[in-house]
Amino acid sequence: MSMVLAPPPLEGSPASSDFEHDVAIVRGRRWRINPGSLILWTLLTLLIIAPVMCFLILAVSPHVFQQGPEWFTLKYVREAFGGATRAGIVNSLWVSAVVATTAVALATMIAWLVIRTNVFGRRVWTVLTWLLLLVPTWMMTLGWGDLLQPFGVASALGVNTHYIFGEFFGPMGIVVVLTTAALPFAFFIVSAALQLMGPELEDAARVHGANRWLTLKTVLPVIAPALLGAFTVSFAETMSDFGVAFTLGYHSHFPLATFTLFSAISNFPANFSVAAVIAVVLILSTVPPILLQSRVMRKRSFAVLSGRTRVARRREFRTVARVAASAGLATIYLVALGVPVFGAVAGSFVRDLGIYSTGPIKLTLAYYRQVLHPDIVGQGLGAPLLLSNQMGLIVATLTGVVALVLARRLVVNAGGWSQRVTDIFLMGSIAVPGVVLGVGYIFFYNQPFITNHFINLYKTLPLLILALVASSLPGQTRFMAGPVSQIQPSLVEAARVHGASRLRAWRTTNLPLVSRVLLWGWLVTFTKVIAELAVAQILYPPSQEPVSVTIQAYLANNLLGDGTAMTVVTLAEMLAVIGVALLTYRLLAPKGWRRIGWSGIQS
Amino acid sequence: MTNPLSVQSTRFRKFVVVAAAALSAVGVVTLSKGAGATSHPTLVVYSAQGYDKATVAAFNATHPGFTVTLNDNSTGPLLQQIQAEGNHPTWGVLWVDGATAFAQLDHEGLLAKHIVPKVSFNAVGKANIPTDGSYVPTGLTATGALVYDSSQIKKAQLPKSWAQLTSSKFKGMLGMNDPTQSGPTYPMIAGIMNYLGHYKGHGSTAASVAAGKSYLSKLKANGLVINSTNGPTIAAIQAHTIAMAIIQSSAGYGTELSQSPSLRVAYLKPVTALPGVIGIDAKMPAAVRNEAQKFVNYVLSSAGQHAMKTGDPQGDSLFWPVLNGIKAANKILPPLSSVPMQTVNPAVWGALETPINNWFTANINNG
Repeated sequence: MSMVLAPPPLEGSPASSDFEHDVAIVRGRRWRINPGSLILWTLLTLLIIAPVMCFLILAVSPHVFQQGPEWFTLKYVREAFGGATRAGIVNSLWVSAVVATTAVALATMIAWLVIRTNVFGRRVWTVLTWLLLLVPTWMMTLGWGDLLQPFGVASALGVNTHYIFGEFFGPMGIVVVLTTAALPFAFFIVSAALQLMGPELEDAARVHGANRWLTLKTVLPVIAPALLGAFTVSFAETMSDFGVAFTLGYHSHFPLATFTLFSAISNFPANFSVAAVIAVVLILSTVPPILLQSRVMRKRSFAVLSGRTRVARRREFRTVARVAASAGLATIYLVALGVPVFGAVAGSFVRDLGIYSTGPIKLTLAYYRQVLHPDIVGQGLGAPLLLSNQMGLIVATLTGVVALVLARRLVVNAGGWSQRVTDIFLMGSIAVPGVVLGVGYIFFYNQPFITNHFINLYKTLPLLILALVASSLPGQTRFMAGPVSQIQPSLVEAARVHGASRLRAWRTTNLPLVSRVLLWGWLVTFTKVIAELAVAQILYPPSQEPVSVTIQAYLANNLLGDGTAMTVVTLAEMLAVIGVALLTYRLLAPKGWRRIGWSGIQS
Repeated sequence: MTNPLSVQSTRFRKFVVVAAAALSAVGVVTLSKGAGATSHPTLVVYSAQGYDKATVAAFNATHPGFTVTLNDNSTGPLLQQIQAEGNHPTWGVLWVDGATAFAQLDHEGLLAKHIVPKVSFNAVGKANIPTDGSYVPTGLTATGALVYDSSQIKKAQLPKSWAQLTSSKFKGMLGMNDPTQSGPTYPMIAGIMNYLGHYKGHGSTAASVAAGKSYLSKLKANGLVINSTNGPTIAAIQAHTIAMAIIQSSAGYGTELSQSPSLRVAYLKPVTALPGVIGIDAKMPAAVRNEAQKFVNYVLSSAGQHAMKTGDPQGDSLFWPVLNGIKAANKILPPLSSVPMQTVNPAVWGALETPINNWFTANINNG
């Protein structure tokens, strides 16, 4: 368990802070086991490592879980790198790189405009970015499909979409939708860095005669961790995406790795071994960006937020530039969010959506009537949506607590091997497709030695909740790592020097700064849980169907209108919950908490 | 003057209390919902049938001795769960369309044998009962039914044989599902190979497989459109992207009843029987297997068949009964005797599913 031991903190490193550190003394020094690390890694093992490893080991040893006769073989590795499977891996790698680069560039530009300029509607753009984060990719493609398909919404409005439909359902559409899906991850990581960075660096650069370009060159490296973090998260999220791979990728005969993995286990008997090889490739593909980020962060400290940090000044555009910048932002969000949401919402009111017709469009409320009063008892939206909301509340809370601890550990051990291991582990976990996690949970938690001697959780709601926490934890940890990394340890040290306990020191210094990160991270996880399909479909207990599974069943049975209406109702409900949460924070959180630290929006 | 720090502290405390109370309440409610499942019911039915909820509810209402728990899901995830559970299964009964998965489970020794109830099967029903009685047909549909849009192509213009589908007259008009995504599609492909190769049910399948591959390649060259499952394929017909498709009969009839009155179903000679099949897990304790047998018996009873016929009236309930004396749920179904149906050996063709599906993906879907 070398991971729970740490060498002595280097002089001047951020590791010399308020947490109890291992005292490792080479040649006569004593080593102590850090109980906090032990508990944390045990939790991570039970949540992620053990289930995922149970799946991945099948790549070379299928007999471990009775999936083949071989105790060791490389034949599935050879099989995975042939034909459509290899094409899927290659396609996923270059698409993810293109998407991550584009998303980070776009996000940085948007973040700078929103936070550091007087562009119109700053709060609106941030709200829209949150909406973009909330909408899962399968809902986005549903909206685009409803809009562009033959006799879809656009056709109903008299727009011929034949050409663009063919183009969109291809690599172009894949890159567009995945970029819009990755954009919010990149935006919030970069915007957190920009918001916490005061004007001191820019002022110093300008005072010494730097022009705008040189000032930018001075400032950008300071947010390098955020940029690299945004790239890494965007890359990993894109690699693991299944919604686009299953819809746009499939129909355009452009296989992506997640779909070829899904196909490998769709036959019976399922080829878990080939799927495991593909999963290993997905996970390992995140290592190079992480190592690059780690190398950059090792060279210097990026802590810029202190007790003397001032609020950044906004650049004042002139009217023409201000209007142009605002229009540019409006165009981006119109394409990214407005079009698919309009497609989905409008599609839920168009009668005979997608069916050939020469007559005028007809609107209907029949789909909403079916959603609210289903013809067949037990096939409505109410019970699944309530269950998903309940699970969302629990998962978001558990994930938030553990993610904050993990994010702090990433920062405290920055540059060390422990941090690199944790980082690679987290990023690799983001790249794990949901179906791998789900099946891995069956392999691990259905083992007789666990069910007979420890706990029997298989086919229960607690197991599904654990799997959803495991699915959300890596992303939320990375989401928090940026803002947490910019909090100087001296804040807590100052409180401790003045007699505060460890908890009080954290509560009075760090908590106000991270309260909005916690809130928004909670909200993101909440909505992701409701929309999560792959894990839910594998692990949901009998007669306790989450809403994502219900919606998917309608869509798969060509009940497009009903499925779209359910999607719209679910989205509206999620937004209502978010509104209540934000209002509660605004009413109950101290005013000072809302003025400092990072947020998505000025609360 | 109020100390700002104490105001901050009070507000923070209120916030924590409110949040903790709300989350605790939700947690208790949610996890107590799972308590029922945590108690691990004895018999769990894994089913992909649209009428399974109605049937299980009817069974539980009339059998107060124990409660059957239903794990309703698509066929793919159900089979993934069963395979991942391995030798420590949770399922007691499996109920899906198509016998090839059951043949594989039987081959692995996972099915209880001789579970066929003593009821009167019709000829097609009997033809789908294996010699060891390890699974039972509960209803019948056809895969490879020619579902067409009568507003695009008239009945008289339809192809009369499988060979005619490769004619340039029908170029770009035909669609089908992807066998890796759609459960009923591989049995259709197996049936095509079985028919074209004149396979007698035993011996080498090489010639039949080759004949089937050649045929599918010709369809591909003739503009065959592949979609994942019934839903997108039928949507393509409705959007006039294609005029007809070879899919499951119940999907065609269901769409005709619910959405598209111009849709019709025709049959080329032959189509392949796709029974709804039920089997019992041999690894379960004897007490659970007894419960499972009661459930199977109920499904094959008149009450069970009634629940099946009414549970999904515009979907899976559109099947032909396999029992004498039971009528189809809807008059839209023609008499079974008028449908040229063949039965393929699931033990033989089930073993070939993976390599044939892989070939299809590489050469037809992505080719």
